[in-house]
Formats: sequence, C-alpha cells, structure tokens
Amino acid sequence: MNLTINSRTPNETTRILEIEGEIDVYTSPQLKQEIVKLAEGGVKHLIINLSKVEYLDSTGLGVLIGGLKRLREAEGNLVLVGPALRILRIFEITGLDKIFDIYATEEDAAAKEGVSL
Amino acid sequence: MTQTLCDTVELVIPCRPEYVGVARLAVLGIASRMPFSYDEVEDVRLAVGEACTHAVERAGDTSAQIKIVSTIDSVALVIEVIDDVPVGTEPVVQSEDAQLLEAAGVDQQGLGALLMEILVDEVKITSSETGTSVRLTKFAPE
Repeated sequence: MNLTINSRTPNETTRILEIEGEIDVYTSPQLKQEIVKLAEGGVKHLIINLSKVEYLDSTGLGVLIGGLKRLREAEGNLVLVGPALRILRIFEITGLDKIFDIYATEEDAAAKEGVSL
Repeated sequence: MTQTLCDTVELVIPCRPEYVGVARLAVLGIASRMPFSYDEVEDVRLAVGEACTHAVERAGDTSAQIKIVSTIDSVALVIEVIDDVPVGTEPVVQSEDAQLLEAAGVDQQGLGALLMEILVDEVKITSSETGTSVRLTKFAPE
C-alpha cells in the first residue's frame, strides 16, 4: 500500500516522475510534496509517468490538478504519460482528460512539449 | 455464482488515511462474491475508497471510526460506509491545495461525489449529529 516516485532529470527545467503503486488519501501528500518542491525549484516541465499506477482516486486527481495549475502559471506544463485503461477512464468520466495533456509514451510527451529527453 | 441468501460482512477501521487501503482490499473480496465483471469490481472498490476518503478528510485528527457494512444478495451489492464524525465538526481550514483547485474550477470533494455517482447505480448520503452514512448500491448484471 505504498507509493514509489522515481525522478529523472533530462535537463535543468524538465523532470520525469515515474510513479509506482496507489495514489490515494494516504499516499497523495507524498506526491504533492514532490511536485511542489520541483515547481518551487524552477522546474517548468513535469512529465508524470502513470504506467505503473494501479489506483488513483479524487485526492490523487486533486494533487495533479494543483500541480498543473502551478506549472501553467509558471508558463510550463504538467503532462501525463501511459495511464492504464482503468486509470485513463477515471480522467474521462470526470472530464479531466480535456484539461490534462495525456500521452502514450514519454517520447511523445517530450516531442509535443518541445523538450529534449 | 448466484446467492440465494443475503450475506452481511462488517468491517470497522480507524477513520485515518492509512486504513482506507484496508477497506479497499476487503471490498475487493466482497465484490468478487457477486457476478460482476473485473471493471465493475474495480468501480465498487473506487467508490468505497471515495466514501472512506470523504470520512477521513472530515475527521481530521480524531479517534473517529468507519464502519463498512456490505450486504450481498442475488439482486445487488449494498455497501454502507458509516462514520461517527459529527456534522459541523469538520476542520474549516482550507488547504492551499483546496484554494488551487477552487481557482481551477474544481471542487475535490465534488470530484469524489461525482466519481461515486458514476461508478455505482445508487448513492444515498445521510448526515446527522452522530455522523454520516454513504450507501452505495450496485445491481447484479441481468
């Protein structure tokens, strides 16, 4: 019942966060802390890889929306990569798939966002 | 597997974030007693997770508890998530996240409620001085 966050730094203003596990009311504060730390540290582009996330609830959605708003205000973006169908469905039924940029792979995300990996 | 009897399963957990996962695990086993598809079982699991989260977020740092009563029969699975957090005692401090979400036009508690409404067939929320009950119903496939 835990969350692992692996962070990679392709360049100074870009971070890739690969998340593994369940994002819920217990674990989402950990993700929020990481996103806030990166945003405050000058990261503009955050690529969040959800391919190993098995569970996501409204608290997780809340953290991602908060991060998206923060980065867009800093003229950057927070994008999502590779959610399983089950997780993608949660974005679709809440209409949040229209708010987030969701890509199949990290390479797609980087190309569309104009950042080099 | 068709049930002819009506079975009841009760689980009581502390109303704290680290126990919501325990409720979800139990619900996975309970929903699997019904002739639901994999997706339907997952829907029930997420809906119960949202109901527990709603209780946990209102409880704050108290010794509140959540009782989860599941009733299984051939018609439907009914899961009632009952907390003993008195209405009106919720923390009124708005987190920075809540302000961010509000500015983005999203109400996170509203997201939880929206998910529950979509994921199961019926949602009935009853609040009183002694706490809140969220009753989730998912009918068996025809």
